[in-house]
Amino acid sequence: VLFALLAGVALAEQRFPPPDFESGHKLPVTLTPPARAILLQYLDVAVLAFCLGLGTWLVYKRRSRKGLMALSLFSLLYFGFWKKGCVCAIGSLQNVALGLSDHGYAVPIGVTAFYVLPLVFALFAGRTFCAAVCPHGALQDLVLLKPLKLPPWLEQALSVLPYIYLGAGVLFAATGSAFIICQYDPFVPIFRMSGRSLMVLSGAALLLLGVFVGRPYCRFLCPYGALLKLCAIVANLRVRVTPNLCTQCRLCEASCPFGAMREPETGPAGPQTLSIDRRRLAWMLVLVPVLLVGGGWLGSQFSAPATRLHPTVSLADQLVRAEGTPSKLSMLTPDDLALERARQAPKEILTEAAAIRRKFVIGGWIFGAWVGLVIGVKLISLSVRRRRTDYEPDRGDCFACARCFEYCPNELVRRGLMPAAAPAPGAAVTLTSRPAVVEGTTV
Amino acid sequence: MNRKGNWLMGAWVAGVFSVLVGLTMISGRLSIRAEDPLKSPQLAELKEKLRLNPADEQIKQNVRQLDLQLRQRYFRQLSRMGSGIYLLLGGVAVFILAVKQSARCQKQLPMPQPRPDAPEQSERSAARARWSVAASGTLIGGLLFILTLSLSSALPRRMAEVEKTLGAGDATGAGEPHPTDQASASDAASPQELMQNWPCFRGPGGGGVSLLTNVPTAWDVKTGTGIAWKVPAPTSGFGSPIVWGDRVFLSGGDARKREVLCLDSKTGQILWRQTVADVAGAPAQPADVPESTGYAAATMATDGRRVYAFFANGDCAAFTLEGKPAWSKSFGALKNPYGHATSLTTWRDRLIVQLDQGDPEDNKSKLYALDGRTGQIVWQRPRKAGASWATPIVIEAAGKAQVITLAVPSIIAYAATDGTELWRVEGINGEITPSPVFAGGLLFVASPSEKLMAIRPDGQGDVTKTHVVWTSEDSVPDVTSPLSDGQLVFMLTTGGMLTCLDAKDGKKQWDHDFDMEFHASPSVAGGRLYLLSQKGTAFVVEAARQFRELFHTEMADGFHASPAFAPDKIFLRGLTNVWCLGPVAAKEKASGQP
Repeated sequence: VLFALLAGVALAEQRFPPPDFESGHKLPVTLTPPARAILLQYLDVAVLAFCLGLGTWLVYKRRSRKGLMALSLFSLLYFGFWKKGCVCAIGSLQNVALGLSDHGYAVPIGVTAFYVLPLVFALFAGRTFCAAVCPHGALQDLVLLKPLKLPPWLEQALSVLPYIYLGAGVLFAATGSAFIICQYDPFVPIFRMSGRSLMVLSGAALLLLGVFVGRPYCRFLCPYGALLKLCAIVANLRVRVTPNLCTQCRLCEASCPFGAMREPETGPAGPQTLSIDRRRLAWMLVLVPVLLVGGGWLGSQFSAPATRLHPTVSLADQLVRAEGTPSKLSMLTPDDLALERARQAPKEILTEAAAIRRKFVIGGWIFGAWVGLVIGVKLISLSVRRRRTDYEPDRGDCFACARCFEYCPNELVRRGLMPAAAPAPGAAVTLTSRPAVVEGTTV
Repeated sequence: MNRKGNWLMGAWVAGVFSVLVGLTMISGRLSIRAEDPLKSPQLAELKEKLRLNPADEQIKQNVRQLDLQLRQRYFRQLSRMGSGIYLLLGGVAVFILAVKQSARCQKQLPMPQPRPDAPEQSERSAARARWSVAASGTLIGGLLFILTLSLSSALPRRMAEVEKTLGAGDATGAGEPHPTDQASASDAASPQELMQNWPCFRGPGGGGVSLLTNVPTAWDVKTGTGIAWKVPAPTSGFGSPIVWGDRVFLSGGDARKREVLCLDSKTGQILWRQTVADVAGAPAQPADVPESTGYAAATMATDGRRVYAFFANGDCAAFTLEGKPAWSKSFGALKNPYGHATSLTTWRDRLIVQLDQGDPEDNKSKLYALDGRTGQIVWQRPRKAGASWATPIVIEAAGKAQVITLAVPSIIAYAATDGTELWRVEGINGEITPSPVFAGGLLFVASPSEKLMAIRPDGQGDVTKTHVVWTSEDSVPDVTSPLSDGQLVFMLTTGGMLTCLDAKDGKKQWDHDFDMEFHASPSVAGGRLYLLSQKGTAFVVEAARQFRELFHTEMADGFHASPAFAPDKIFLRGLTNVWCLGPVAAKEKASGQP
């Protein structure tokens, strides 16, 4: 896999300046390729909607892992290799962020649909998009050969990253600086078989990691996954290992390569434990505003260097640096050329850069506060007790991949794949009446 | 072999195949890096050599050849990699499939064991998770803080300081004196752009050297072959044409009216013409300007953003390339026995004006650097010199931008940034008309009809005794300027004697007497010298160590101005016509070959 991705680098850097023609040869004008025909854009949206519907049906009605795998393969080929990973739902959130902050920017309908549809489905039916429609997830699922279980502390520590990445992506997109989620997408260079060496190597490294760790990008980086997770938490439909009886055999726990299976509560907490828990929660609640303010301040400080990602600020920065330095007669770098070709007056560039900085200072406060909020909320969520009676997938973390269905003996019996009398492998099975699923929090 | 064994074997085969293809492609990838034309040290070295010897045909040929070879190899390798990636993807797909199938054959359901300590484990796990999330938050905060400290920006950090910088920018724009050390490169064309145009007297660098190779080598006035267009001179003047993009600029005029014209380089049509009149500060009495030189002997200059013109009555004016007046100012009546003829030149966004007049003891001579955007004086330096007619040039040497000026008795180099005198060489005499040229690291200066000096421009103070590399007294011109491609030096006297010297030591290679009068300075393009006699004979001579006349023709015009070069074209300003030599418009489409 690593080799395959390294090879992608081969096609990555084909662009360099043309030769210095002295004979008057006029280089052909570079043409911008026409946008995808509107009909095809609608077709993409229709395919997306169909796949989401089919995925939901396969997860909740058919409960078919095979069907999901087939759909996943189709999505990888269509949304990944055929469409070269664009438009994708992950990047579309930046278009929407820019559209909301800049009224001069119109978000195309197709892009809006790619942003909204998976979220709507997640609101009602959980992460069926992640299950079989997202090409990024499909690619990682494909290479998952020997899944290892991560320690829960590591999983929790890394689980805040998608939210922070989401905040950063929105900050840079809303200020018109850069679409960093697209620029640093590790898998798009693989779909395109072309890209910057660094990104191809990142993609290769993630896929290599993905051989042992299930979907590392989806779990610990994907900013759109963070949004889907928030929606899935309140979803009406939820994935159940078995719609019938949970025998608490724990086979499903071993089946999930994404650490999304949650165990039932063993019993009510004692009064002493409850008191400690309450005190801890109170401290955590007090900590949240501190984290908000501290994070906001840090974000505002970070805004100054972060603005350099904006092309105009970068140009202004070069302009200030170039003042007083002698002109170069040797080959110019692309940055030098950009500066030389910028026909704006220095004052205009500086004025524009100052306005962008102002936006960034506000954005930096919001981003920093968001980071603080994410950490604070995560700490709170780890300080509350959840009441569960069965083994069940975490509403937010479950990718609805249907792996656990195939492990559940009761599910196999229900589907007629195993005789009811046959003993289930693993621990002793005690059939009980179907427990009522009660979810709530208590301390 | 059983089913599992088959899959395992398949996985091995596909894995080994993928590794081999991968290794081949990685080695290909590394060789692509080595063959990247942009990163080739040999090519960079050759280009640097070419920069020092811009007219060396051999180096140009070597650059082209190496560039072509590198590109061919690069794209061949790229194409191989493009095919290889599909093999690799196929191999990897088979490998994954085989591994998965093989794993499926030996799949065993897990056997979870009872966990009596589950509640304690759960508590411990939650506690560890809280700490790890706190550590993660601290780490992210620390990372943001380090990024804040380490990513430096030249822009002020605080908003108030940005506003302050903007305030300073406003003041500059409003016409306050420009800080002497802050010439802006962004409000003027880059050196590369200047090299591709003909922005001042004798082109980029003022040396009469064009880097173009596709300029006309023959034309016929009678049949019109090789003459793109010819239009009657729209205004009178001896200044040479300058070219920027597809525009040709000329200045002209007389006692009644001074003007600047812009012609379309494709058709010769006048795109715009602007009169320079009522210049603030101009003396009430019209200047006494001799007819022999007229009001517009000085060639215009452009920095790629504006064009500048200077007239013998002391008026200086700037226009945008579209003809919009930018500013004008008067330097007052000039005291010059033959009339002012020193042309303008530019450095970045600054206009360099050398005004040598009167006698040395009059203390009237000065060198100015004006802000091209506003016309405000950035710096000025008084010169202890009388009237002169040579045009200053700006060179980059010894790590400095130097303005080289000539006037009896000194060659003086000033820092372009602030006008500080850097070095001087004493020993030029007479009526200083030939302009200096810089090529192959040496400065060539003609003391009219006396001697040609080759000087190293890297000294400090008076370097007369230390930096004059050689002198030659063979047929030194008194009006036209010398010419050098870095290897040879050419001089053309008013009487028509063309002499070729070795640039290294000044040894004469050959001379040839054309036996006619020349006022226009010689130029070189594509290894050929272009000479225009005063009575209209044009010669093309090989710029080589042996004399060889390649072409000559009668132009039915008279020439005092030097030619200007553009891709496919040569522009001439005659006494009666403005000429554009080159393919006619209909043929232009077919002419663009690399």
